[in-house]
Amino acid sequence: MAKKAKSRTVVVRLISMAMTGFYRTMIRPRTHRPLSMLKYDPVVKKKVLFLEATKGGRAK
Amino acid sequence: MSTTQTAGSLVSKLPQRLRNFFARYPPQIYSAAVAPRPEPTEEANTEPLPSPYTPNRDAKGHKRPDPAEFSPSRALLYSNPDHPNPFLPRKNFRTGKWISPRYGLRTQAALVNLAKKYNVEALLPPGRKSTDFKETRREERGLQIKGTGIGQKVKGHKWERTMESRLEERRKAMMEMPEMIRLWKQRGHGRGWKQWPKR
Repeated sequence: MAKKAKSRTVVVRLISMAMTGFYRTMIRPRTHRPLSMLKYDPVVKKKVLFLEATKGGRAK
Repeated sequence: MSTTQTAGSLVSKLPQRLRNFFARYPPQIYSAAVAPRPEPTEEANTEPLPSPYTPNRDAKGHKRPDPAEFSPSRALLYSNPDHPNPFLPRKNFRTGKWISPRYGLRTQAALVNLAKKYNVEALLPPGRKSTDFKETRREERGLQIKGTGIGQKVKGHKWERTMESRLEERRKAMMEMPEMIRLWKQRGHGRGWKQWPKR
């Protein structure tokens, strides 16, 4: 049986670099580079850097 | 002479039950006031326990008391070998059997309550129902709630125990945040970024 085709997009988790445990979930194309952006973290009440967390510790 | 008379009149005011007790167990031999108070032979273990507010797994914050260890409350329960304390059980070392106290705990409690009412509690032999014993034991054990005694700490929730270290980590991260953002902008907003966090 043929394997199911991988979807074109992936759901990724962007983790706050303020180490608050706060994260945002986003969708990006599978072939795109990892996401990173400045976003508001409600725990520290500031705009901080959010980086995409790699599943299994593998960076793209 | 007059003191004996006043003492005699005071005794006559006591209820029959207490008078009978004191007649059988005269306070000058049996009472808690004449019992010696042994000092702890070895230094009491007063070193503080490790704080439970650390991620260290060894920090339990509670020690189970050792039954053989010296304790101030247990030291209060004194029995003279020549005149065995009627409130305490004793061991026959020849047969190895225990002899029950002459007065059961319920009777002891009744006697202590009665003696308290007439302000003669100090004349009773030391026992588990005496105010002294109860106070000392309360000090030792706290409110019977794990962690509230002397040298003990309440375990608390995990979020409470790890709060300090988490806040510290957050504070450090926030200190480095401007530098991190500067680097991130410098490296093309993540294009050249290497240290991605693990999930």
